[in-house]
Order: sequence, then structure tokens, then C-alpha cells
Amino acid sequence: MAIPLSWWLTVAAALFAIGLYGVLSRRNAIGVLLGIELMLNAANINLVAFWRFITPQALTGQVFAIFVIGIAAAEAAAGLAIIISAYRRRRTVVVDELDTMRW
Amino acid sequence: MDFLFSFTPLIPLFPLLAFAVIVLFTYRYNRLSSDIAIGSIALSTVLAWAVLLATLLGGEHIQVEGWQLRVPWLPAGTTVLDLGFAVDGFTAAMLFMVPFVCLMIFIYSQGYMKLGQPDQDPRYARFFAYISLFAAGMLGLVVARDLVLLFVSWEIMGLCSYLLIGFWSFRKADDEHHIDEAQVIRARKAALKAFITTRIGDVLLFSGIALLYSYTGTVTLREIFRPETLETLQTISLLGMPAVTVIALLVFGGAVGKSAQFPLHVWLPDAMEGPTPVSALIHAATMVAAGVYLVARMLPLFIAGFEVADAPALHWVAIVGAITALLGATIGLAQDDIKRVLAYSTISQLGYMMMGLGLGSLVAGIFHLLTHAFFKALLFLGAGSVIHGVEHGHHVAAHADHVHTEHFNPNDMKAMGGLRHRMPYTFVAYLAGTLALVGIVPFAGFWSKDEILAEAFHLWRADGALNLPFWVWLAGTLGAFFTALYMGRQLGLVFWGEPRHTAARHAHESPSSMTIPLIVLALFALLFGFVNAPFLGSPLHHFMGGVHEASEVVHAEAVPFNFTVAAISTVLAVAGLLLGWLLYRNYRPGQVEPFQVVLGPVFTLLRNKYYIDELYQQVIIRPVVWLSNFCFNIDDRWIIDPFVDLVGAAGRVASDIVRVLDSVVVDRWFVEGTAQLFNAAGRGLRYSETGRVQNYLLVVAVTILLLLGLYLYF
Amino acid sequence: MNFPFLTLITFIPLLGAVVVALIPGRREREIKLVAVLFSVPSLVLSLIAWLLYAQNAGEIKFLEEATWIPTLNAYYRVGVDGISLPLVFLTTLLTTLSLFYSSYTIKKRVKEFFALFLLLETGMIGVFVALDLVLFYIFWEVGLVPMFLLIGIWGQPQDRPQYSAIKFFLYTLVGSVAMLLAFIAIYMTTGTWNILQIPGLKPLAGNPGLAIAAFWAIFLAFAIKVPSWPFHTWLPDAHTAAPTAGSVVLAGVLLKLGGYGMIRILLPFFPDLFKQFAPWIGVLALISMIYGALVSMAQWDLKRLIAYSSVSHMGFFMLGLVAAAASLEVANPVLTSRAIALNGAVLQMFNHGIITGGLFFLVGVIYERTHTRDLKAFGGLSAKMPVYYGVMLTTALASLGLPGLAGFISEFMVFRGAFALIPTYAIIGVVAIVLGAAYILWKIVQHVFLGEFSEERWQEIFNPAHWHFSLDMARFEVITMAPLLFFMVLVGIYPAPVLNVINAATTALLAML
Repeated sequence: MAIPLSWWLTVAAALFAIGLYGVLSRRNAIGVLLGIELMLNAANINLVAFWRFITPQALTGQVFAIFVIGIAAAEAAAGLAIIISAYRRRRTVVVDELDTMRW
Repeated sequence: MDFLFSFTPLIPLFPLLAFAVIVLFTYRYNRLSSDIAIGSIALSTVLAWAVLLATLLGGEHIQVEGWQLRVPWLPAGTTVLDLGFAVDGFTAAMLFMVPFVCLMIFIYSQGYMKLGQPDQDPRYARFFAYISLFAAGMLGLVVARDLVLLFVSWEIMGLCSYLLIGFWSFRKADDEHHIDEAQVIRARKAALKAFITTRIGDVLLFSGIALLYSYTGTVTLREIFRPETLETLQTISLLGMPAVTVIALLVFGGAVGKSAQFPLHVWLPDAMEGPTPVSALIHAATMVAAGVYLVARMLPLFIAGFEVADAPALHWVAIVGAITALLGATIGLAQDDIKRVLAYSTISQLGYMMMGLGLGSLVAGIFHLLTHAFFKALLFLGAGSVIHGVEHGHHVAAHADHVHTEHFNPNDMKAMGGLRHRMPYTFVAYLAGTLALVGIVPFAGFWSKDEILAEAFHLWRADGALNLPFWVWLAGTLGAFFTALYMGRQLGLVFWGEPRHTAARHAHESPSSMTIPLIVLALFALLFGFVNAPFLGSPLHHFMGGVHEASEVVHAEAVPFNFTVAAISTVLAVAGLLLGWLLYRNYRPGQVEPFQVVLGPVFTLLRNKYYIDELYQQVIIRPVVWLSNFCFNIDDRWIIDPFVDLVGAAGRVASDIVRVLDSVVVDRWFVEGTAQLFNAAGRGLRYSETGRVQNYLLVVAVTILLLLGLYLYF
Repeated sequence: MNFPFLTLITFIPLLGAVVVALIPGRREREIKLVAVLFSVPSLVLSLIAWLLYAQNAGEIKFLEEATWIPTLNAYYRVGVDGISLPLVFLTTLLTTLSLFYSSYTIKKRVKEFFALFLLLETGMIGVFVALDLVLFYIFWEVGLVPMFLLIGIWGQPQDRPQYSAIKFFLYTLVGSVAMLLAFIAIYMTTGTWNILQIPGLKPLAGNPGLAIAAFWAIFLAFAIKVPSWPFHTWLPDAHTAAPTAGSVVLAGVLLKLGGYGMIRILLPFFPDLFKQFAPWIGVLALISMIYGALVSMAQWDLKRLIAYSSVSHMGFFMLGLVAAAASLEVANPVLTSRAIALNGAVLQMFNHGIITGGLFFLVGVIYERTHTRDLKAFGGLSAKMPVYYGVMLTTALASLGLPGLAGFISEFMVFRGAFALIPTYAIIGVVAIVLGAAYILWKIVQHVFLGEFSEERWQEIFNPAHWHFSLDMARFEVITMAPLLFFMVLVGIYPAPVLNVINAATTALLAML
């Protein structure tokens, strides 16, 4: 009847890997941000799945997930603001070019 | 009448107050200052005579036992040292003489220091302050109950003698007609010499007092002289002698310094650099009398020392006295300075007093002290009057002739002559003093000198052998001849013959403030001897002879008048006086001295004072100065300070070595090396910082994977 | 007695130093006024304390005690007895006079000078009142720094002030270190720093070797400060280089720290060892006395001469101390002799402070006018400056021990004790008295005051443009000297007020040993 836990975890892992790949490979900063969102959501899936399969009587997993979604939203907002501010200064959103902390 | 004794502490206090008042307040007002000084000493005289009266009326009890007053003064452990005042017959006898002679000298000083004259001494007020303090010192000494108060007074006199002998030891340019430059230097030297020489004696006395206090626990004279205390002192041994002998000799050392006995007599003649009234003060009533007074006061101690050790203390007093008496009298033969002759005469007469005391006779010594005070004060004041007159004559002559002879010495007897017509009062007074000093009946000196000689003669005859008293008697008799000889010479040179200098030709009599004291003192020189004349029953003996009875070692009986002794000394005295007078009354300037003709090289020796000053210069002063420089060099140049600096320098060298070690090994290699290591490492590693966020992330991801792998693997 | 006398006496000057430091440096008048005013309460309080101190009580009074450094077992513990009270009074008196005098003569770096001087006062008083070894040591060192700076900064340039200051500092420090080690050794065996308790606990009694080492270590520290021959050579340099007020306090008070330490610490802690070594220390005392006097006689620099005379005079002090320590008997008459000797020693410290302090002021008088101290440059000044002559003569005579003035009393007592207990030393020691008269009268009085006054020579050394007061002693100089002269005469004529206090304490101390 039910989909077993391992499937959920596999999906989440795949999603995390896609997100990680996006973060590491995208040259556009907004793309990087999107990758991060993917990774966060992969974590959410895990949290909800663990809740459902291991401690259904306590709502901790769901609460965690909601927190993570909230933080993700805030993070996206802050991240986008930083990117816009960086774009205004440097006229670019390419991550490779934003290397002011280079040696 | 015993209430009069409570005034005793005031006797020295009045002159002391006069000193303080003059120094602090009235030093600008000359007449006021001298009036205060004279008033205070007059008050002291009145009080002193009142005390004397009380003592006379108090009978034997007061004269022997005495009166005393104690004040707790110095806390000492569980005990307290008292100081105080005491009066007995001896003190009272001194109180008759001291303030009175001082009063005469003070009055005389007003004239001598030229009060109100245009050439008044610029330090007039200061002079009276000093002599007041001087008098206070002597009076304090006489009424002291304890050795400490006695020593305090003793030293105050030492200070005053320093100040007064050196009275002319400094000057401003505008003082020129008072003192010349050479005199400034002489006065300075003389003052220092007096202080240091007497200080040597003082330190001996100081040691004696400290020892006495240590052994007996008291400094009160009467308590020391208790028979049991003296016995204790006789049994204690110190430096191989009985303590009492050592202490007596130390005390005598003090007296030798103060009373100018051989070998510490050298300061006294130089003390003539002070103003003449000071000489009178030092030589008659105060300073030098103090030493004799001290020995007389401490006589039980000397005799106790004599009893146990079969000699030293007391014999030394007699021997030193005899040597001094002859030494002074012979040197006096060859001096030209009128005051110096008198100075050596004082030394010689003090020798007589010591001889008397050294024979164990308190009264003989003190009697001579009292008579001598009167006639020596008289002689000095007379000499001052002569000098004053000659100086005045010099001024008159200089004005009249409009020539200013530069190197005129008003003290030089060879520049005088024929003054008996020009200064008659002075001459008469001086003659009286001379006859008293030489010992011609019935002048005071005859009685007192004769008593000393009779004492010696008596002791000699009682023993029979050629013992110490015989030599003392011989020295005394010879000394009497020499005394007469130099006084005859002086009379001849000063008062007879023709004036040998214009100054002497223009000399004239001194003012009445000077001549009146002279006349008064002359009366005393004539009459004072009768207070102890044998045919009156020797009253002084009865009055003060018993003061040492309590000690059970001193026994005072008057020696009967001895016609032989008196005859011998009188004949010699008259002969000496006539001889001196005959040889010198027609002395002409430039002539070879008659004594020199007779004595030859001996005369040169006498003129140079046996070369004792030169000897001290070579044997004591130069080595001490050399030693002080030597110590200073050790300290500063040779050993101690160089050593300290060497330690410092060694420290510097060591620190230099360590500095090199530190800057090279520690600092350059270790400290800086560490820094350089990290610097190089950082230089290499910095390239890992690409600044690309994805690189960092990749590293993070890979690292996590690696760690995960490691975790899973193990 | 709850009123904290000693704390106030000690720390009001420190407060004054802080206040002075806060005043802007260019307000010199205010700085001088404030500094002098801040030194007065201590003077007044110490005088009151002296008067309150019951005259015949020998014990420690005005005791204050508080925990201070618990881990070290160190207490803030202060108190005085008849030995320290006169010295505390001496310190406050000389400091006030020095500050007053300096307010007329110090021209450069005024603020620092006065602040440091007040700090110095705190350090010096602290040593006299401390009854805890740690506290004692700290105050001992506190006084060192300001004095170092006073010599180094305000010293006369021609006298190598830096050299002298460093010499002074290092010398004292060597002693202090030795002393500190000894203190620690004592603490190890007794477990307390309490100066009053330690004597009863017989420190280091079980270890004679260490006890001897500790004895000499402490002796070294104090002997350097006294100073005893041969540790004295810092003194002439430091005294000569220091500014007038510095010399006054150096001679008047700092030398007494060593003497006080010998009486308060060395003697009660190690009475047996002191007795055992008394002959050696006595030899040092004699050498100091005679040698100091001889070297004094060889000087041509007025200030140096007085500095060496201090060596000689502090030798008298040591002689008295040695006499008191040379026997342990507590029955009369020996106890009386010992008490007299120790009284003499303590009084000698007090007198030396008053007299030599005064002499240094008087050197300042002539130095401020002429900027020379060469004895050969003067002569005949008594005609030019009669008041100066009178004051100097009085002070000099007090110094040479003329009866009727202070110096005699203490000399007499020292020798009274010495003749009873160590006669051989006393007999040799009296030579120093004669020499004292020689160098003072021959060198000081003769060369400066007597003789011919030469106007040309005076013109050479005296520049009226640099001196704004009267030629003879100015009023502020007379005011400075007046209290000192008063004490010279008072102690000389009637020493009981001072000696009652000292005598009670020394008798109690000696009976306790």
C-alpha cells in the first residue's frame, strides 16, 4: 500500500545531488541560489519522511520542515538582495567574476 | 638666710639671657646691648655675693655639706639622670671672684671697644653677647652639681673662646682701619687652634665622665665622692690600672687642655689675637680657671687613685704643673708682645696651681687661682689700656705727621717706653699687678704662691729624701725667679726709658670706664691675699677646706707659715725684678737684647717657644691631614669607589655579552625565525584562497564525502 | 584608639601626589600650594600622635590591622612605638619643610617634582609604621623610585646625576633583594610576616647556617642604607647630585630607614647572632666614624663634606646599637647601660636628621645664590651674611656635638653606653669627636665664613640677576630653618620630651629580647 521509506530517501538524495550539482556548476548566482533551494527541499523530504515512518505521534519532523521552508524563504530573499547589490556594483551575476576575496 | 640659695640657678641664667636677648633682638643697638650685658653680670654678682653671704652665715654645715637642687633631666633605662645646682664653701669662694672679675672686665670693655667713639668697633654688640655667654658658661660650671652640667658649661666656654679669639677673623672692606688683613688670618688660625686643642682635652674629659657614669651610675659629684663609691672604683680594673686612676687621668686631660698645661698649652698664647678684655676673661676669671677648678673639684678622685696605685694620677698633676710652670716662665723671658708675655705668665701660674693641687692641697691651689684671677685680670686690662693708649697715640701721630706707618704693632713692647708719665693710673695699677704676680709682701700673690711652695717644702721635709715635693718646690722657686725676671723686663720696656716710637710718645691715659676697673682690681691685688693669710688664721681654709671631707681621702690642714720658704722666694723675686728692670729700663731700639747676650742660643730657643708649635705641625697636624687625604683617595680614587664602579662595569660587560646572545640567538633565531616560518607558509598557502565561492563549496563537499567515506570505511 | 592615625599619616601624601598629578602642569603656583598643604596634615597628625602616645608606655600603639593578601598571609598591619614615632615625626617635618623650601627653588618640571616628593613621603612613613614584613618591604621599595627620579632629573648637571641616581638605586636594590630572600626564609620557619610575633618564634632557630646567612643578608640591606663603611660610596654621590630638598630627605630620613630596620628587625629577630657578631659590626661602626670624619676633612666640596660627615655620624648610631646588642643581660645596671646606648642610637638618628637636614638646607642657601659649593670660592661671608653665619654656626656646632645643642646628648648617651659595655671601642671612637670639630670648624666655618671677604671673587660667583630674594638668608629660608633650630636647642637643653618616648620603647624592647 505504502511507498517504503527508502524510496522517499532515494528521491530526496537525488534531489540533493541535483541541487549540489547546480550549486557547484552554475555560473549564474541565481542558479546557485536555486540549487541551494533544491538541497533544502531534499532535506525537507527527508524530515517529513522520517517523521511519517519513525515518530508519527510527535510533530517534530513537520515543524522542522516548516522552519526550514521559512528559513529558505528568508535565505532566498537575503541571497537575492546580495546578488542584486553585487550586480549593481559589479554589473555581473557570474559567480566566477565575484572573486574579491581572492588572495 | 637659706632662701638665698634658691637664687643660685639664676646666677648663670642672667648672662645667658643677656646673650639671647642681644643676639636675637638688640644686636643693632650698641649701647643698649652692652648695658644689658653689664646689668646682667652685675645682677649675677649681687646674687652670687648673696649666696656667698648665706654660705658664710650658714656655718660649717653649709660650707661642707652644701646646698643643692635637682632637676630630672635625662631618662635612662629604668633610671633618670638628674641635673642640678649645688653650692658649698668652695663654690661660694669661686662665686666671690668670678662674677665680680667679669663685671670689671665688662665695664672696662665698654671703654675698650670705644663705645660712642667714631671708630667704635662694628661688632660691638656681638662682642658683649659673646662675653655674656662666656660668663654664663663659667658661672654654670661653678654652680654645677653634676659633671654633665659642668661639661656643658665647660664646652660653652670653649665655644665662646673660639668665637672671641676669632673675633677679628673676618671683615668687610670698610672695616679696614680696625683690623688689617694679617690680623684676620692670625685670628682665624688662633681661634681654630684654641678650639681644637682644648677639644682634645675635652674629649678626654668626656670619656672620663662617661666612664664614671658607667661605673658609678651617677654623675653627681658628691655621690661619686662617697667613700664606698671611691672604693668600688679602686677595685675595678681598667686597662691594667684601677678605674679610678684612669678616670682621674682622663679628667686631668680635660684640665690640661682647658688650663693650657704642657703639652696642650700651645693655644693660649695664640689666643692673644682676641680683643684684650677677652684675654683678661680667658686668663683670669673663666676659661683657664675652669681646668684648675675641675681638678680641685675632683681631687678626691685623684687622691683615691693615688692611694691605691701608689702613684699616677696625683703625681702627674704635680709633675705636669711643675713642667708647665717652668716652661711658661722661661718662654715669657723672650717674648716681645706685651700680651704674650702675660699669656706665658698665665701658663706658668696655672702650673703653680696644678702643683698645689698635685700635692693634695685643695686650698693652696684654689687660693692661688683666686688671687691670680684678680691680678692677672688687672695685668691684662692694664696691658689693654697700654695698647689702647699706644694705638690712640699712633692715630694722633699719623694725623699730625700725615704719615701712615703701615706695619705698626701696638702690642710690641719694643715700640713703647716711658709710659709711666703718660699713663699714670695705668702704671700704678700695672705695678700693683706686677708686684702681686711676682709675689712681694703684702700683695696677694705672695700669700698664695708662698702657700704652694710651703706645702711642697713641708712635704719634702716630712719625708726627707729628694722626693717629688722637693722637685716641685725647686721648680716653683726657680719659676718665681723667672717670673720676676720677665716682669722686670716688661716693666722696664713699657714704662721706663724713652719712648721708642712716635705712637708711644703720643700715648695718653685711657678713659675712666677703663681706669676705674683697673684701680678696683689693683686694690684686690693688694689686699685679697689676706683672706688666707696665716697670721689671720687662714680663713679660707676654714671656709672651704672641708668640702672634700666626706670622701674620707682628702684632709685639709693649713700648712704653717714657713719663714725659710717665704724668704727664699721673696729674695729671688726681688732680685729677678730688679735685674730685669735694670737690664731693660734703658733699652734702645735695635739694640741686642741683654738676655740674648747672656743666654745666647738658649734665648733663640725660648723665643721660638721650644719649637713646640713646629713640632706639632710636623708630628700631628701634617700626618692627620695626610691621613685624611689618604683615606679620601682610598675611598674615591683607589679602592672602594673604583671597586664599586668595577662591579658596575663588570655588570655592564656581562650585560653586553647577554645582549649579544639575546639579540642573535634568542631574538634573531628563535623569535624571528618562528615568525619567518609562518610567514613563508602563509605565502605558499594563500593560493588556495581563490575567492570563488564554488571552489570553497566543492572543498566542503569533497571533505564531507571523504570524512563520510572514512567513517564508513572504519 | 579607633581613629586611623597611621593610615592617614601615611596615605594623605599619596592622595596629595594624585591631586598634584591632576592639576595642569603650567599652574605652578597651585601645584606648589597644594603639595605643601597636603603634607601638613601628616605633620600635624604625627605631632598629635606623639603627644597622645602615653609617655611611659613602651608598647606599640595606634595599631591597625586588616587582611590584605590572604594567599600570601600578608596583612595590612601598622603601628608605632617610641622608636618609630620620633622618626615618623622627623619624616613629616622634613618633608613639609622640604616642600616649602622647594616651592621657592624648584623651577623645572614642577608638577612631577612635587608629586614624586609626596609619593616619597608615603614610602618613607610606611617603612616606619609597617609591622608586617611584606608591607615593610613594599614601602621600602616604594621610596626608592621617587628618590631615584629626584636625583636623576633635578640633580645638578655637573654632578653626574644619572650616574649617582643609578648607583643609589642599584646599591639599595642589591640589599633589598638579599633582605627579601631572608624574609622569605624567616616566613618559611615561622609562618607569619608579623614583625611583632617573629621574635618570640625564634626564626631559623633550627638552622644556624641559614640563620647566619639571613642575618648578614638583612644586615647588608640596612648597612647599605645607613650607610656603614664600606657600603657608603653611593652616599656622597647621591647627596651631592640631589637637589637641596632631595639631599635633606636623603640624609634626614632615608638613612634612618636602615637604622630603624636594624633596631626593629635585625636586633629583635636575631639577638643572639647580633651579640655574636657585635665585635665585627662594632669595627665597621668605628671605621665609619673615624674614616668618615677623615675623608670629610679632605673635601673641598661643601655638600660632599657634609655627606661624608653623615657616614661618620651614622657610625655613632651603629656604635650605640652595637653597645646595646653586645650583652643580653636584662638586670640593672647592665640594662640601664644598654638602654642608654640604644636611646643614644635612636636619638642620634633623630638628631642627625634635624642637624644634617639643616646643614643641607644651608648648603642650598649658598648654592642657590652662587651656584658653587667649592669651599675655596668663599671666605669672609660672615660679614656679608651675618644671619646665615649665625644659623650655620649653630647648626654646625650642633653637628660637632657641642653641649647645649642636640648632637651632644646623643653622642654622650652613645658613649655612656659604649664605655660601660664595649670600652675598647669607645676609647677608639672618641677620636672621631675631635676630628668632627676639626672638619667642621676648619673646613666649613673657616673657609666659608671667616677670613677676608673679597668683593671681586663674590662678583664672579654671585649674579644678582638670578637671585630675587635678599642676599642674607631670605625669609623663606629662615622659616625653613627655624623649626630645625628649635629642635636642636630643645633637645640639647631639655631632651626629656623626646627621650621619654624613646626610652620607654627601647627599655621594653631590650627587656623582651
